[in-house]
Amino acid sequence: MIIEDDVILREVLSDFLVKEGFTVVTASNGEEGVNQAKKKKPDLIILDIILPKKDGFEVIKDLKKDEKTEKIFIVLLTNLESLNDIEKALNLGATTYLIKSDYSLEEVVKKIKDILNR
Amino acid sequence: MKLNIINDLDLKKQAEKLGVSVWQTPSFLFLVLGAIIICIMTAVFFITRYYDSPEILVISESMIVGLIFTIGNVIIRDIENVARTNKVKSEFVSIASHELKTPLSEINWEIDLLFSKYSDNFTEKQSEIVRNIEKSNDRMTRLVNDLLEVARIDQNKMILNRKNIDILQIVKEEISNNKILAKFNQVKIELIKETDDCNIMADERKIKLVIDNLLNNAVKYNLSKEGKAEISLKRKNDYLVVSFKDNGIGIPINEQKYVFEKFFRSNNAMRYQTQGTGLGLYIAKNIIEQSGGKLRFESRENEGSTFYFSLPFN
Repeated sequence: MIIEDDVILREVLSDFLVKEGFTVVTASNGEEGVNQAKKKKPDLIILDIILPKKDGFEVIKDLKKDEKTEKIFIVLLTNLESLNDIEKALNLGATTYLIKSDYSLEEVVKKIKDILNR
Repeated sequence: MKLNIINDLDLKKQAEKLGVSVWQTPSFLFLVLGAIIICIMTAVFFITRYYDSPEILVISESMIVGLIFTIGNVIIRDIENVARTNKVKSEFVSIASHELKTPLSEINWEIDLLFSKYSDNFTEKQSEIVRNIEKSNDRMTRLVNDLLEVARIDQNKMILNRKNIDILQIVKEEISNNKILAKFNQVKIELIKETDDCNIMADERKIKLVIDNLLNNAVKYNLSKEGKAEISLKRKNDYLVVSFKDNGIGIPINEQKYVFEKFFRSNNAMRYQTQGTGLGLYIAKNIIEQSGGKLRFESRENEGSTFYFSLPFN
């Protein structure tokens, strides 16, 4: 699942992942993200921190509170501006983070596959 | 005449540095303040000599103090203004660069998607055009990253994520990254390891930046038929010293003192290759110094340069 409010980013990631064989669900704000996650129960969520309606931190908290969604892997999508934000998210239960400008799409997929194969 | 020299050297340079007119530089204002104080004290001296009255002394001294406070206030507000403008400019660079990062990543990923999943029926020309878009985008991304780094340095907000890293490993990776450029420029890269322990505490990403910049310079500015870039790692007391020696175009002696300044590119480098921001060494020096080390160089025009940095062992 991809929870990202920027439409171009959301669609390019989704498109690529679908072509790589993944089933993808998307949400454009935090609230929609949490609702969809509880319904569809994805294996992994790619999550942006800055989101309308509910920010990334709130999303992580909500997902970790519900036993239906607490085991979902959470990958943060970031620009590495604030190490504090990343640390905060990891402490709340995010699995790992991804720096947009550092990774090519192929590398993003590789990272996702690595996590899912754990 | 001496006053003129002082004028020419200090005030003009300071004015340029701070972005204000010569009459607004703090140094000039201090000189003015000093001159006024001397004039007033002289005046007071003569006044008290001819008017033997304590009231006049008190009044004139109060006037002096009042004048000093007023002029002092003007000077301080002037300096504050300059500092604030500097901070605003730096913050502007940070914000603008940060905002640019997302669309740049998006272009990058769209090209990734295009080439890996939707380019089956591309003509040769279409592929070439898209690759050029990709190259330009890469350049923009590098520049934006550099500008952000510089803004952070200027605001004293450099982020260092220290952990135990293997410098030898990073050097090997960077040699691999620069292989294509080296081959294109006919430069042979050699690695000399004179010490077994290459582990130090530093920010991996930042040190990678430094090594990439120094190796890239050694390979890029090299016209010789038998181009060589020699990287050596050795231990010197409690420091790991990594040096990059090349037999490239070198840096002319009269330009050597500007090498680590922002946006500086030496004339012979620009004649050879106009592309480049001139920020790499400024950033590299700051990273190494903030990591507890030093970045130095030796160079001879047309003979080559050796850039070396030291980092403390744990």
